[in-house]
Amino acid sequence: MGLLLGLIGVLKTFNDHVLRVGRVLAAIALGLMVIFILAQIFYRYVLNNALPWPDEAARFMMLWMTGLIAPSALRRGGFVAIDLVERILPAIVGTLLTLTLFIIGLIVLIYAVQIGYSDMTGFGGRAKTASLYIPTSLGFDEWFRLPRSWMFASLVVGIALMIVVSIELILRQIVSLLGGEDRLPPLPVTDLPEAE
Amino acid sequence: MSALIWFLPLFLVLLMVGLPVFFALLAAPGAMLLINGQERDLVLLYRNLYNGMDSFPLMALPFFMLAGEIMNRGGITTRLVEFSQAFMGHLRGGLAHVNILSSILFAGLSGSAVADTSALGSTLIPAMEKNGYTRRFAAAVTAASSVIGPIIPPSGIMIIYAYVMGESVAALFLAGIVPGILMGISLMILVRLLADRYDLPKAQRIVHSDQEISATEYWVSFVLIRLNLGGILYALTAPLRRMMESPVEGWTAFALFLVMCLIAHVLLMRYRRVVDHDFRLVCKKAVAPLQTPIIILGGILIGVFTPTEAAAIAVAYALIVSVFILRSMKSRDFYPVFMRSAMASATVLLLVGAAVSFKAVVALSNAPQILADFILALSENPLILLFLINLLLFIVGMFLDAGPAIIILGPILGPIFIELGVHPVHFAIIMSVNLTVGLATPPMGLVLFVASSVSGERVETISRAILPFLAVHVIVIFLITYIPAISMTIPRLTGFVTP
Repeated sequence: MGLLLGLIGVLKTFNDHVLRVGRVLAAIALGLMVIFILAQIFYRYVLNNALPWPDEAARFMMLWMTGLIAPSALRRGGFVAIDLVERILPAIVGTLLTLTLFIIGLIVLIYAVQIGYSDMTGFGGRAKTASLYIPTSLGFDEWFRLPRSWMFASLVVGIALMIVVSIELILRQIVSLLGGEDRLPPLPVTDLPEAE
Repeated sequence: MSALIWFLPLFLVLLMVGLPVFFALLAAPGAMLLINGQERDLVLLYRNLYNGMDSFPLMALPFFMLAGEIMNRGGITTRLVEFSQAFMGHLRGGLAHVNILSSILFAGLSGSAVADTSALGSTLIPAMEKNGYTRRFAAAVTAASSVIGPIIPPSGIMIIYAYVMGESVAALFLAGIVPGILMGISLMILVRLLADRYDLPKAQRIVHSDQEISATEYWVSFVLIRLNLGGILYALTAPLRRMMESPVEGWTAFALFLVMCLIAHVLLMRYRRVVDHDFRLVCKKAVAPLQTPIIILGGILIGVFTPTEAAAIAVAYALIVSVFILRSMKSRDFYPVFMRSAMASATVLLLVGAAVSFKAVVALSNAPQILADFILALSENPLILLFLINLLLFIVGMFLDAGPAIIILGPILGPIFIELGVHPVHFAIIMSVNLTVGLATPPMGLVLFVASSVSGERVETISRAILPFLAVHVIVIFLITYIPAISMTIPRLTGFVTP
């Protein structure tokens, strides 16, 4: 039990800090998406000069936004599920069920991260993006064309972080099962806006 | 192939026991591919998940969510409510009407029934209670009218449906306008009937007398309302312009528009003398917020913006209004607003990506064929089948939120009905309205839970009070299902749907 609680403490510290950085970056990415699309409209209609990059750059940001903040959503219980059965069941069975569901989720994530990683480092990842360049010198005369792996990495990072979150959640369920619920450090909760 | 057919039942079981929809959408097809020895196809599952999220049209979703969040930050809800009250407050059952009208207006700013319930509920439920309504009735009206939110554009679930099913977002948005307003009017008729029966109270038209307005907002609204009315008048001259020998274009068109704005100005100045000061200011204060639907629909209709671009413009407009004009958003609000929108969008984007993977495996298996055979064996009459679908969607809506339900059922049911001759856009509206109403049906209606937490009334109590309103919802669902013209007229007239 002490070992479990220690592990949970370590994971909690990791998740608290890393996911906070992820949330800040995701919020910035969302802001950049808006700016890129507005720039696209401005250049097309006001300057009559359609830019090649805003579409791809905004999608780049959207993927990273998703990857960086989805782990926080998972940790705060923001993934939609039908929780009817769990609520009817007696407490102990309900906890067991939740544990099983977390483990299924973890298995999915582990498969996904393996495939994602090999995709990222494989042939498709080495291909270049269509229009994304960043300057590599101060004089803006040398440009580096981003490979697609930089985009692929968004989901891989997101899934990897979700794995860490899942392990934390699973350990917490195990501690609850062993009757140590009152010794668990509290998790942050937020209410989220909904799409519907 | 054989084992693949079991993935739908497996999926349902996983979903029912409470696995998050995102994981269920991946786990069920994944497990079946593994059992079937098609381990290599797991790569396809992953790639579809990634490619499903890597989409420009889908970007409209985070943007509309963000625009709604910014608009929600304060000021705007109160303005819409006071504006509605200035028009309908004096009727019997006034505040109930105001609640519904506010929902219709709010629907043009946000695409979310939940946002609608929490924003309008926190303002109107206490006000209605003070006015002599029971709290459960107030909560029920709020919940029942909030389903208009995702029907009138912009609409989160319609963006999702359009993307997953390869339809045009613009066509779905336009198709939702009349059904949404019809839903509102039908609810108002019910309130009217209830008002006679239970002697519901009237309310003041003006809540706060001696309204004030800042100079900036005054002049911004002054100009905007003239441009709006001028635009409407200009649009009304279309038949005249068509009769001209040479087309009215460029500077001539602009001059005509300016003349129309001038006429609008004269009309407004005459109107100003008739109405009292407070009424005028209440209306004026609603002008800036209500530009959002005009920008979105106007931009899409004229064809200058894609829905994604319109959504980005809506964000920019919402920021300008709430930071500079209404000053309801401070610098410290930025991070929470962007962060919350990003988080909510991320969960939906993952869900959509997973749905694209799921759809790919649905196509690999012959599940659609088996399902289609099963459904067609029940009846070949599209009207009876549509009735059965209404029933199915209504039941699904009781347990599952609209977004996930549409993601799961769209790819399975859509093709069958399109084959039977139901127009894809019409079917999209049937599904959207049906499942949105599910948000307000017990036992698992999301909106009921929100209404309960806003009002402090128990979910069970609201569930009983909402029953008459649900009956109206059901009638409207049937009207929309069996009279395609309700949804299809506007997209047809504007050329977004070919007959």
